[in-house]
Amino acid sequence: MIEQLKNVWQRRELLWYIVKFQMKAEKKNKVLGFAWSFLDPLLLLLVYIVLVSYIFGRGGPQFPILLFIALLSWRWFTSSLVRSVTSVTSKVGLIQGVRFPLAILPLSGIIIGFFDWLFGFVILVPMLFIFEASFTVNILWLPVLLLVEFVGIVGACLIFAVVGTYLSDLSNILQFLIRLGFYLSPILYSVEDTVPERLTTLYMLVNPFAGLLESYKNVLIRGVPPSEYALVGVAVALVVFMVGLWYFSRNEYKLVKAI
Amino acid sequence: MVKVSELGIKFRMQKRRRSQVLDFFGEKFRNRQRPTGEFWALRHVTFTVERGETVGIIGRNGSGKSTLLRVIAGIYPPDEGTVSVDGEVSTLFSLGTGFNAELSGRDNIYLNGIMIGLTKIQIDGIIDAIINFAELGDFIDVPVRTYSSGMKARLGFAIAMHSDKDIVLIDEIMAAGDAAFRQKADVEMERIMGEKTVLLVSHNMSTIERFASTVIWLDRGAMAAMGEPKEVIEQYLAASRVKKPPPDLD
Repeated sequence: MIEQLKNVWQRRELLWYIVKFQMKAEKKNKVLGFAWSFLDPLLLLLVYIVLVSYIFGRGGPQFPILLFIALLSWRWFTSSLVRSVTSVTSKVGLIQGVRFPLAILPLSGIIIGFFDWLFGFVILVPMLFIFEASFTVNILWLPVLLLVEFVGIVGACLIFAVVGTYLSDLSNILQFLIRLGFYLSPILYSVEDTVPERLTTLYMLVNPFAGLLESYKNVLIRGVPPSEYALVGVAVALVVFMVGLWYFSRNEYKLVKAI
Repeated sequence: MVKVSELGIKFRMQKRRRSQVLDFFGEKFRNRQRPTGEFWALRHVTFTVERGETVGIIGRNGSGKSTLLRVIAGIYPPDEGTVSVDGEVSTLFSLGTGFNAELSGRDNIYLNGIMIGLTKIQIDGIIDAIINFAELGDFIDVPVRTYSSGMKARLGFAIAMHSDKDIVLIDEIMAAGDAAFRQKADVEMERIMGEKTVLLVSHNMSTIERFASTVIWLDRGAMAAMGEPKEVIEQYLAASRVKKPPPDLD
Protein backbone atom coordinates (compact mmCIF):
# COMPACT_ATOMS: atom_id res chain seq x y z
CA MET A 1 0.00 0.00 0.00
CA ILE A 2 2.83 2.36 0.87
CA GLU A 3 4.42 1.12 -2.34
CA GLN A 4 1.35 2.33 -4.22
CA LEU A 5 1.74 5.85 -2.84
CA LYS A 6 5.45 5.86 -3.62
CA ASN A 7 4.85 4.77 -7.20
CA VAL A 8 2.30 7.52 -7.74
CA TRP A 9 4.63 10.09 -6.25
CA GLN A 10 7.43 8.98 -8.57
CA ARG A 11 5.18 9.50 -11.58
CA ARG A 12 3.75 12.84 -10.39
CA GLU A 13 4.90 14.55 -13.56
CA LEU A 14 2.76 12.13 -15.54
CA LEU A 15 -0.19 12.80 -13.23
CA TRP A 16 0.22 16.50 -13.76
CA TYR A 17 0.35 16.16 -17.54
CA ILE A 18 -2.73 13.95 -17.63
CA VAL A 19 -4.60 16.57 -15.58
CA LYS A 20 -3.36 19.44 -17.71
CA PHE A 21 -4.11 17.82 -21.05
CA GLN A 22 -7.44 16.42 -19.90
CA MET A 23 -8.57 19.90 -18.88
CA LYS A 24 -7.31 21.28 -22.16
CA ALA A 25 -9.12 18.62 -24.19
CA GLU A 26 -12.38 19.22 -22.33
CA LYS A 27 -12.39 22.97 -22.94
CA LYS A 28 -10.86 23.07 -26.37
CA ASN A 29 -13.87 22.59 -28.60
CA LYS A 30 -16.09 25.07 -26.81
CA VAL A 31 -16.61 28.61 -28.00
CA LEU A 32 -16.45 29.97 -24.48
CA GLY A 33 -13.66 27.52 -23.58
CA PHE A 34 -12.03 28.38 -20.30
CA ALA A 35 -14.90 30.72 -19.33
CA TRP A 36 -17.04 27.65 -18.60
CA SER A 37 -14.90 26.96 -15.55
CA PHE A 38 -16.52 30.06 -14.04
CA LEU A 39 -19.89 29.94 -15.77
CA ASP A 40 -20.70 26.37 -14.73
CA PRO A 41 -20.76 26.97 -10.97
CA LEU A 42 -22.30 30.41 -11.37
CA LEU A 43 -25.27 29.14 -13.40
CA LEU A 44 -25.75 26.23 -11.03
CA LEU A 45 -25.78 28.66 -8.14
CA LEU A 46 -28.37 30.86 -9.85
CA VAL A 47 -30.73 27.95 -10.39
CA TYR A 48 -30.72 27.05 -6.69
CA ILE A 49 -31.03 30.67 -5.57
CA VAL A 50 -34.14 31.01 -7.74
CA LEU A 51 -35.48 27.76 -6.32
CA VAL A 52 -34.88 28.41 -2.63
CA SER A 53 -34.96 32.20 -2.24
CA TYR A 54 -37.71 33.03 -4.71
CA ILE A 55 -39.89 29.97 -5.10
CA PHE A 56 -39.72 28.75 -1.50
CA GLY A 57 -38.92 32.14 0.01
CA ARG A 58 -36.37 30.67 2.42
CA GLY A 59 -32.64 30.79 3.00
CA GLY A 60 -31.96 34.13 4.67
CA PRO A 61 -29.69 37.01 3.61
CA GLN A 62 -26.44 35.04 3.46
CA PHE A 63 -27.99 32.12 1.63
CA PRO A 64 -26.10 32.60 -1.68
CA ILE A 65 -22.66 32.24 -0.09
CA LEU A 66 -23.70 29.50 2.35
CA LEU A 67 -25.07 27.58 -0.61
CA PHE A 68 -22.10 28.30 -2.84
CA ILE A 69 -19.35 26.95 -0.59
CA ALA A 70 -21.38 23.82 0.15
CA LEU A 71 -22.21 23.37 -3.51
CA LEU A 72 -18.57 23.66 -4.58
CA SER A 73 -17.35 21.15 -2.03
CA TRP A 74 -20.16 18.72 -2.80
CA ARG A 75 -19.52 19.04 -6.53
CA TRP A 76 -15.81 18.27 -6.03
CA PHE A 77 -16.80 15.02 -4.33
CA THR A 78 -19.45 13.92 -6.83
CA SER A 79 -17.66 14.91 -10.05
CA SER A 80 -14.60 12.99 -8.85
CA LEU A 81 -16.73 9.91 -8.21
CA VAL A 82 -18.43 10.14 -11.60
CA ARG A 83 -15.06 10.46 -13.34
CA SER A 84 -13.52 7.61 -11.37
CA VAL A 85 -16.14 5.08 -12.49
CA THR A 86 -14.95 5.29 -16.10
CA SER A 87 -11.39 6.38 -15.34
CA VAL A 88 -9.93 2.96 -16.13
CA THR A 89 -12.15 1.84 -19.01
CA SER A 90 -11.75 5.14 -20.85
CA LYS A 91 -7.97 4.83 -20.96
CA VAL A 92 -7.55 1.35 -22.38
CA GLY A 93 -5.10 2.57 -25.02
CA LEU A 94 -2.77 4.08 -22.45
CA ILE A 95 -3.00 1.19 -20.02
CA GLN A 96 -2.17 -1.39 -22.67
CA GLY A 97 0.65 0.72 -24.05
CA VAL A 98 2.81 1.51 -21.08
CA ARG A 99 3.32 0.54 -17.47
CA PHE A 100 2.32 3.18 -14.94
CA PRO A 101 0.55 3.19 -11.57
CA LEU A 102 -3.14 3.01 -12.45
CA ALA A 103 -4.12 4.99 -9.36
CA ILE A 104 -3.05 8.01 -11.39
CA LEU A 105 -6.26 7.68 -13.44
CA PRO A 106 -8.85 8.26 -10.67
CA LEU A 107 -6.45 10.73 -9.03
CA SER A 108 -6.31 12.88 -12.14
CA GLY A 109 -10.12 13.21 -12.05
CA ILE A 110 -9.96 14.31 -8.41
CA ILE A 111 -7.39 16.98 -9.19
CA ILE A 112 -9.43 18.25 -12.15
CA GLY A 113 -12.39 18.44 -9.74
CA PHE A 114 -10.28 20.43 -7.30
CA PHE A 115 -9.42 22.94 -10.01
CA ASP A 116 -13.14 23.38 -10.58
CA TRP A 117 -13.48 24.02 -6.85
CA LEU A 118 -10.74 26.66 -7.09
CA PHE A 119 -12.36 28.39 -10.07
CA GLY A 120 -15.61 28.53 -8.14
CA PHE A 121 -13.78 29.86 -5.09
CA VAL A 122 -12.42 32.74 -7.16
CA ILE A 123 -16.03 33.80 -7.75
CA LEU A 124 -16.97 33.15 -4.14
CA VAL A 125 -14.34 35.51 -2.68
CA PRO A 126 -15.92 38.80 -3.87
CA MET A 127 -19.32 37.40 -2.90
CA LEU A 128 -18.07 36.90 0.65
CA PHE A 129 -17.58 40.66 0.86
CA ILE A 130 -20.90 41.51 -0.78
CA PHE A 131 -22.87 39.27 1.56
CA GLU A 132 -20.83 40.35 4.59
CA ALA A 133 -19.24 37.10 5.73
CA SER A 134 -17.48 37.29 9.10
CA PHE A 135 -13.77 37.02 8.53
CA THR A 136 -11.92 35.60 11.53
CA VAL A 137 -8.80 33.58 12.16
CA ASN A 138 -10.99 30.49 11.75
CA ILE A 139 -10.53 30.83 8.01
CA LEU A 140 -7.18 29.09 8.53
CA TRP A 141 -9.17 25.88 9.00
CA LEU A 142 -10.11 25.92 5.33
CA PRO A 143 -7.03 24.04 4.02
CA VAL A 144 -7.50 21.45 6.77
CA LEU A 145 -11.09 20.85 5.69
CA LEU A 146 -10.00 20.57 2.07
CA LEU A 147 -7.34 18.03 3.04
CA VAL A 148 -9.88 15.92 4.94
CA GLU A 149 -12.22 16.00 1.98
CA PHE A 150 -9.37 15.13 -0.41
CA VAL A 151 -8.34 12.09 1.64
CA GLY A 152 -11.91 10.82 1.72
CA ILE A 153 -12.45 11.42 -1.99
CA VAL A 154 -9.26 9.56 -2.89
CA GLY A 155 -10.36 6.51 -0.93
CA ALA A 156 -13.86 6.50 -2.40
CA CYS A 157 -12.62 7.04 -5.95
CA LEU A 158 -10.08 4.21 -5.73
CA ILE A 159 -12.90 1.86 -4.77
CA PHE A 160 -15.24 3.19 -7.47
CA ALA A 161 -12.54 2.96 -10.12
CA VAL A 162 -12.15 -0.78 -9.49
CA VAL A 163 -15.85 -1.59 -9.17
CA GLY A 164 -16.77 0.64 -12.13
CA THR A 165 -14.38 -1.27 -14.37
CA TYR A 166 -16.26 -4.50 -13.78
CA LEU A 167 -19.72 -3.07 -13.33
CA SER A 168 -20.71 -0.29 -15.69
CA ASP A 169 -24.14 -0.24 -14.01
CA LEU A 170 -22.38 1.66 -11.26
CA SER A 171 -22.84 4.91 -13.23
CA ASN A 172 -26.62 4.54 -13.00
CA ILE A 173 -26.55 3.67 -9.32
CA LEU A 174 -24.18 6.54 -8.67
CA GLN A 175 -26.44 9.10 -10.35
CA PHE A 176 -29.21 8.10 -7.99
CA LEU A 177 -26.97 8.11 -4.89
CA ILE A 178 -25.61 11.54 -5.74
CA ARG A 179 -29.12 12.97 -6.08
CA LEU A 180 -30.14 11.41 -2.78
CA GLY A 181 -26.98 12.55 -1.03
CA PHE A 182 -27.49 16.07 -2.29
CA TYR A 183 -30.86 16.41 -0.53
CA LEU A 184 -29.67 14.58 2.58
CA SER A 185 -26.70 16.91 3.01
CA PRO A 186 -26.81 20.49 4.30
CA ILE A 187 -26.36 22.19 0.93
CA LEU A 188 -29.72 23.81 0.14
CA TYR A 189 -30.31 24.28 3.85
CA SER A 190 -28.36 24.60 7.07
CA VAL A 191 -28.58 22.01 9.81
CA GLU A 192 -29.52 24.41 12.62
CA ASP A 193 -32.60 25.88 10.94
CA THR A 194 -33.91 22.76 9.20
CA VAL A 195 -33.02 19.59 11.09
CA PRO A 196 -35.02 19.23 14.36
CA GLU A 197 -32.72 19.58 17.34
CA ARG A 198 -33.36 16.12 18.79
CA LEU A 199 -32.36 14.59 15.44
CA THR A 200 -29.24 16.71 14.86
CA THR A 201 -26.80 14.26 16.44
CA LEU A 202 -28.23 11.34 14.52
CA TYR A 203 -28.23 13.29 11.25
CA MET A 204 -24.63 14.36 11.68
CA LEU A 205 -23.46 10.88 12.62
CA VAL A 206 -25.23 9.16 9.73
CA ASN A 207 -23.98 11.60 7.10
CA PRO A 208 -20.21 12.06 7.43
CA PHE A 209 -20.37 14.83 4.83
CA ALA A 210 -22.76 16.96 6.88
CA GLY A 211 -20.24 17.93 9.55
CA LEU A 212 -17.71 18.80 6.89
CA LEU A 213 -20.12 20.99 4.91
CA GLU A 214 -21.28 22.82 8.04
CA SER A 215 -17.63 23.36 8.95
CA TYR A 216 -16.90 24.96 5.59
CA LYS A 217 -19.75 27.38 6.24
CA ASN A 218 -18.58 27.98 9.83
CA VAL A 219 -14.98 28.90 9.09
CA LEU A 220 -15.62 30.87 5.92
CA ILE A 221 -18.90 32.68 6.55
CA ARG A 222 -20.05 32.43 10.14
CA GLY A 223 -16.55 33.10 11.49
CA VAL A 224 -16.64 30.28 14.05
CA PRO A 225 -14.55 27.11 14.44
CA PRO A 226 -15.44 23.91 12.53
CA SER A 227 -18.38 21.87 13.75
CA GLU A 228 -17.34 19.14 16.19
CA TYR A 229 -19.16 16.71 13.90
CA ALA A 230 -16.44 17.27 11.31
CA LEU A 231 -14.56 14.66 13.35
CA VAL A 232 -17.02 12.10 11.99
CA GLY A 233 -15.91 13.18 8.52
CA VAL A 234 -12.25 12.88 9.51
CA ALA A 235 -12.74 9.35 10.82
CA VAL A 236 -14.74 8.20 7.83
CA ALA A 237 -12.29 9.83 5.40
CA LEU A 238 -9.33 8.03 6.98
CA VAL A 239 -11.07 4.66 7.02
CA VAL A 240 -12.28 5.02 3.43
CA PHE A 241 -8.79 6.09 2.37
CA MET A 242 -7.14 3.04 3.92
CA VAL A 243 -9.75 0.66 2.55
CA GLY A 244 -9.60 2.26 -0.90
CA LEU A 245 -5.82 2.07 -1.04
CA TRP A 246 -5.80 -1.55 0.09
CA TYR A 247 -8.57 -2.54 -2.30
CA PHE A 248 -7.02 -0.80 -5.28
CA SER A 249 -3.54 -2.24 -4.65
CA ARG A 250 -5.03 -5.71 -4.45
CA ASN A 251 -6.89 -5.34 -7.75
CA GLU A 252 -4.56 -3.22 -9.86
CA TYR A 253 -3.12 -6.06 -11.94
CA LYS A 254 -6.50 -7.71 -12.34
CA LEU A 255 -7.83 -4.47 -13.81
CA VAL A 256 -5.18 -4.46 -16.52
CA LYS A 257 -6.37 -7.86 -17.66
CA ALA A 258 -10.08 -7.17 -17.26
CA ILE A 259 -10.28 -4.28 -19.71
CA MET B 1 18.93 -7.90 -22.30
CA VAL B 2 15.52 -9.56 -22.10
CA LYS B 3 15.25 -12.98 -20.51
CA VAL B 4 11.93 -14.81 -20.60
CA SER B 5 11.64 -18.20 -19.00
CA GLU B 6 8.65 -20.54 -18.89
CA LEU B 7 6.37 -17.52 -19.19
CA GLY B 8 2.65 -18.09 -18.81
CA ILE B 9 -0.09 -15.46 -19.00
CA LYS B 10 -3.61 -16.42 -18.10
CA PHE B 11 -6.77 -14.53 -19.02
CA ARG B 12 -10.31 -14.82 -17.88
CA MET B 13 -12.56 -15.38 -20.87
CA GLN B 14 -14.75 -12.28 -21.20
CA LYS B 15 -18.10 -13.69 -20.26
CA ARG B 16 -21.43 -12.05 -19.93
CA ARG B 17 -21.13 -9.14 -17.56
CA ARG B 18 -23.54 -10.61 -15.10
CA SER B 19 -21.58 -13.78 -14.46
CA GLN B 20 -18.39 -11.75 -14.37
CA VAL B 21 -19.83 -9.76 -11.50
CA LEU B 22 -20.84 -12.92 -9.66
CA ASP B 23 -17.30 -14.23 -10.10
CA PHE B 24 -16.03 -10.98 -8.77
CA PHE B 25 -17.97 -11.36 -5.54
CA GLY B 26 -16.50 -14.75 -4.89
CA GLU B 27 -15.99 -18.38 -5.74
CA LYS B 28 -19.15 -19.55 -4.06
CA PHE B 29 -21.39 -17.77 -6.55
CA ARG B 30 -19.67 -19.42 -9.46
CA ASN B 31 -21.57 -22.09 -11.28
CA ARG B 32 -19.32 -25.11 -11.00
CA GLN B 33 -20.88 -26.92 -13.93
CA ARG B 34 -19.54 -24.35 -16.37
CA PRO B 35 -15.89 -24.20 -17.32
CA THR B 36 -14.12 -21.43 -15.43
CA GLY B 37 -13.39 -19.76 -18.74
CA GLU B 38 -9.68 -19.27 -18.28
CA PHE B 39 -7.25 -19.54 -21.11
CA TRP B 40 -3.53 -19.18 -21.49
CA ALA B 41 -2.64 -16.37 -23.86
CA LEU B 42 0.97 -17.48 -23.53
CA ARG B 43 2.46 -20.58 -21.99
CA HIS B 44 5.90 -22.19 -21.74
CA VAL B 45 7.52 -19.33 -23.57
CA THR B 46 11.27 -19.25 -23.07
CA PHE B 47 13.85 -17.18 -24.90
CA THR B 48 16.63 -14.68 -24.40
CA VAL B 49 17.32 -11.54 -26.38
CA GLU B 50 20.87 -10.26 -26.10
CA ARG B 51 21.69 -6.58 -25.93
CA GLY B 52 21.65 -5.07 -29.41
CA GLU B 53 19.83 -8.00 -30.94
CA THR B 54 16.70 -7.63 -33.05
CA VAL B 55 14.14 -10.36 -32.63
CA GLY B 56 11.14 -10.71 -34.91
CA ILE B 57 7.90 -12.17 -33.61
CA ILE B 58 5.46 -13.71 -36.06
CA GLY B 59 2.25 -15.69 -35.81
CA ARG B 60 -1.42 -15.56 -36.61
CA ASN B 61 -3.87 -13.05 -35.15
CA GLY B 62 -4.51 -13.85 -31.51
CA SER B 63 -1.40 -15.96 -31.10
CA GLY B 64 -0.10 -13.81 -28.24
CA LYS B 65 2.37 -11.51 -29.99
CA SER B 66 1.08 -8.26 -28.54
CA THR B 67 0.56 -9.88 -25.15
CA LEU B 68 4.22 -10.90 -25.18
CA LEU B 69 5.33 -7.33 -25.86
CA ARG B 70 3.07 -6.09 -23.05
CA VAL B 71 4.61 -8.54 -20.62
CA ILE B 72 8.07 -7.29 -21.52
CA ALA B 73 6.84 -3.71 -21.09
CA GLY B 74 5.74 -4.67 -17.56
CA ILE B 75 2.04 -4.17 -18.21
CA TYR B 76 1.00 -7.76 -17.45
CA PRO B 77 2.75 -9.55 -14.61
CA PRO B 78 3.55 -13.20 -15.45
CA ASP B 79 1.20 -15.80 -14.00
CA GLU B 80 3.90 -18.41 -14.49
CA GLY B 81 7.61 -18.25 -15.05
CA THR B 82 9.80 -15.16 -14.98
CA VAL B 83 10.64 -12.20 -17.16
CA SER B 84 13.70 -10.12 -16.50
CA VAL B 85 14.34 -6.97 -18.45
CA ASP B 86 17.66 -5.20 -18.12
CA GLY B 87 17.24 -1.63 -19.33
CA GLU B 88 14.51 0.91 -19.95
CA VAL B 89 11.68 0.02 -22.28
CA SER B 90 10.20 2.33 -24.86
CA THR B 91 6.68 1.17 -25.50
CA LEU B 92 5.05 1.64 -28.81
CA PHE B 93 1.45 2.53 -28.76
CA SER B 94 0.43 0.41 -31.67
CA LEU B 95 -1.17 2.59 -34.32
CA GLY B 96 -1.56 5.52 -32.02
CA THR B 97 -3.91 3.95 -29.50
CA GLY B 98 -2.20 5.93 -26.76
CA PHE B 99 -3.12 9.25 -28.29
CA ASN B 100 -5.75 11.60 -26.97
CA ALA B 101 -7.84 12.35 -30.06
CA GLU B 102 -8.90 15.83 -28.94
CA LEU B 103 -5.36 17.06 -28.41
CA SER B 104 -2.94 18.27 -31.03
CA GLY B 105 -0.06 16.13 -32.25
CA ARG B 106 2.31 18.36 -30.32
CA ASP B 107 0.47 17.89 -27.03
CA ASN B 108 0.35 14.16 -27.68
CA ILE B 109 4.11 14.04 -28.13
CA TYR B 110 4.48 15.52 -24.65
CA LEU B 111 1.84 13.24 -23.16
CA ASN B 112 3.32 10.10 -24.72
CA GLY B 113 6.85 11.17 -23.92
CA ILE B 114 6.00 11.70 -20.25
CA MET B 115 4.17 8.36 -20.23
CA ILE B 116 7.25 6.45 -21.31
CA GLY B 117 9.28 8.22 -18.66
CA LEU B 118 10.93 11.14 -20.44
CA THR B 119 11.07 14.53 -18.75
CA LYS B 120 9.68 17.71 -20.28
CA ILE B 121 13.20 19.00 -20.91
CA GLN B 122 14.15 15.83 -22.74
CA ILE B 123 11.06 16.13 -24.91
CA ASP B 124 11.78 19.79 -25.63
CA GLY B 125 15.10 18.60 -27.00
CA ILE B 126 13.72 16.00 -29.38
CA ILE B 127 10.34 17.40 -30.38
CA ASP B 128 11.53 19.12 -33.55
CA ALA B 129 13.25 15.95 -34.71
CA ILE B 130 10.06 13.97 -34.05
CA ILE B 131 7.85 16.41 -35.96
CA ASN B 132 10.31 16.45 -38.84
CA PHE B 133 10.59 12.73 -38.95
CA ALA B 134 6.83 12.19 -38.82
CA GLU B 135 6.41 14.67 -41.72
CA LEU B 136 3.32 16.18 -40.13
CA GLY B 137 4.05 19.81 -41.02
CA ASP B 138 1.22 22.12 -39.99
CA PHE B 139 -0.88 19.17 -38.91
CA ILE B 140 1.18 18.93 -35.74
CA ASP B 141 -1.03 21.63 -34.17
CA VAL B 142 -4.44 20.21 -35.08
CA PRO B 143 -6.31 17.52 -33.09
CA VAL B 144 -5.13 13.97 -33.67
CA ARG B 145 -8.70 12.86 -34.42
CA THR B 146 -8.30 14.52 -37.84
CA TYR B 147 -5.21 12.43 -38.65
CA SER B 148 -5.23 9.53 -41.06
CA SER B 149 -4.11 6.17 -39.66
CA GLY B 150 -0.84 6.57 -41.54
CA MET B 151 -0.19 9.93 -39.88
CA LYS B 152 -0.87 8.47 -36.45
CA ALA B 153 1.42 5.55 -37.16
CA ARG B 154 4.18 7.90 -38.30
CA LEU B 155 3.87 9.99 -35.19
CA GLY B 156 3.91 6.92 -32.92
CA PHE B 157 6.93 5.50 -34.69
CA ALA B 158 8.76 8.83 -34.56
CA ILE B 159 8.22 9.14 -30.81
CA ALA B 160 9.48 5.63 -30.15
CA MET B 161 12.54 6.08 -32.34
CA HIS B 162 13.54 9.32 -30.66
CA SER B 163 12.90 8.28 -27.09
CA ASP B 164 16.39 6.77 -26.77
CA LYS B 165 15.48 3.82 -24.56
CA ASP B 166 17.54 0.62 -24.41
CA ILE B 167 14.73 -1.68 -25.45
CA VAL B 168 12.37 -0.81 -28.28
CA LEU B 169 9.12 -2.68 -28.80
CA ILE B 170 7.48 -2.32 -32.19
CA ASP B 171 4.02 -3.70 -32.74
CA GLU B 172 3.08 -3.64 -36.42
CA ILE B 173 3.37 0.10 -36.50
CA MET B 174 5.30 0.44 -39.72
CA ALA B 175 2.61 -1.22 -41.79
CA ALA B 176 0.34 1.82 -42.00
CA GLY B 177 2.86 4.27 -43.40
CA ASP B 178 3.14 4.91 -47.12
CA ALA B 179 6.05 3.71 -49.28
CA ALA B 180 8.16 6.82 -48.75
CA PHE B 181 7.73 6.72 -45.00
CA ARG B 182 8.51 3.04 -44.84
CA GLN B 183 11.80 3.57 -46.59
CA LYS B 184 12.63 6.23 -44.06
CA ALA B 185 11.51 3.96 -41.23
CA ASP B 186 13.74 1.22 -42.60
CA VAL B 187 16.74 3.54 -42.53
CA GLU B 188 15.88 4.46 -38.96
CA MET B 189 15.54 0.80 -38.01
CA GLU B 190 18.99 0.12 -39.43
CA ARG B 191 20.37 3.01 -37.42
CA ILE B 192 19.16 1.66 -34.09
CA MET B 193 19.90 -1.98 -34.88
CA GLY B 194 22.93 -3.20 -33.02
CA GLU B 195 22.63 -0.22 -30.71
CA LYS B 196 19.29 -1.07 -29.14
CA THR B 197 17.53 -4.27 -28.28
CA VAL B 198 14.50 -4.52 -30.55
CA LEU B 199 11.45 -6.75 -30.44
CA LEU B 200 9.53 -6.43 -33.65
CA VAL B 201 6.04 -7.78 -34.25
CA SER B 202 4.98 -7.77 -37.87
CA HIS B 203 2.94 -9.61 -40.46
CA ASN B 204 5.24 -8.33 -43.15
CA MET B 205 7.71 -11.17 -43.67
CA SER B 206 10.15 -9.11 -45.70
CA THR B 207 10.40 -6.57 -42.87
CA ILE B 208 11.04 -9.38 -40.42
CA GLU B 209 13.60 -11.06 -42.65
CA ARG B 210 15.40 -7.82 -43.27
CA PHE B 211 15.84 -6.73 -39.67
CA ALA B 212 15.58 -9.71 -37.37
CA SER B 213 18.56 -11.86 -36.48
CA THR B 214 16.27 -14.35 -34.77
CA VAL B 215 12.59 -15.05 -35.29
CA ILE B 216 10.08 -16.43 -32.81
CA TRP B 217 6.93 -18.01 -34.19
CA LEU B 218 4.05 -17.98 -31.74
CA ASP B 219 1.11 -20.27 -32.32
CA ARG B 220 -1.90 -20.09 -29.98
CA GLY B 221 0.24 -18.89 -27.12
CA ALA B 222 3.04 -21.42 -27.49
CA MET B 223 6.42 -21.16 -29.14
CA ALA B 224 6.08 -23.10 -32.36
CA ALA B 225 9.61 -22.37 -33.50
CA MET B 226 12.57 -20.11 -32.88
CA GLY B 227 15.71 -19.64 -34.89
CA GLU B 228 17.06 -18.43 -38.22
CA PRO B 229 14.61 -15.97 -39.79
CA LYS B 230 14.50 -17.71 -43.16
CA GLU B 231 13.79 -21.15 -41.72
CA VAL B 232 11.17 -20.06 -39.20
CA ILE B 233 9.35 -17.88 -41.72
CA GLU B 234 9.26 -20.77 -44.17
CA GLN B 235 7.80 -23.07 -41.55
CA TYR B 236 5.24 -20.46 -40.58
CA LEU B 237 4.15 -19.82 -44.14
CA ALA B 238 3.95 -23.54 -44.82
CA ALA B 239 1.77 -24.02 -41.76
CA SER B 240 -0.47 -21.14 -42.77
CA ARG B 241 -1.37 -22.93 -45.96
CA VAL B 242 -2.69 -26.08 -44.30
CA LYS B 243 -4.64 -26.54 -41.10
CA LYS B 244 -2.59 -27.57 -38.13
CA PRO B 245 -3.91 -29.36 -35.04
CA PRO B 246 -3.75 -27.17 -31.92
CA PRO B 247 -0.63 -27.73 -29.83
CA ASP B 248 -1.12 -29.18 -26.40
CA LEU B 249 -0.63 -26.33 -23.96
CA ASP B 250 -0.89 -28.31 -20.77
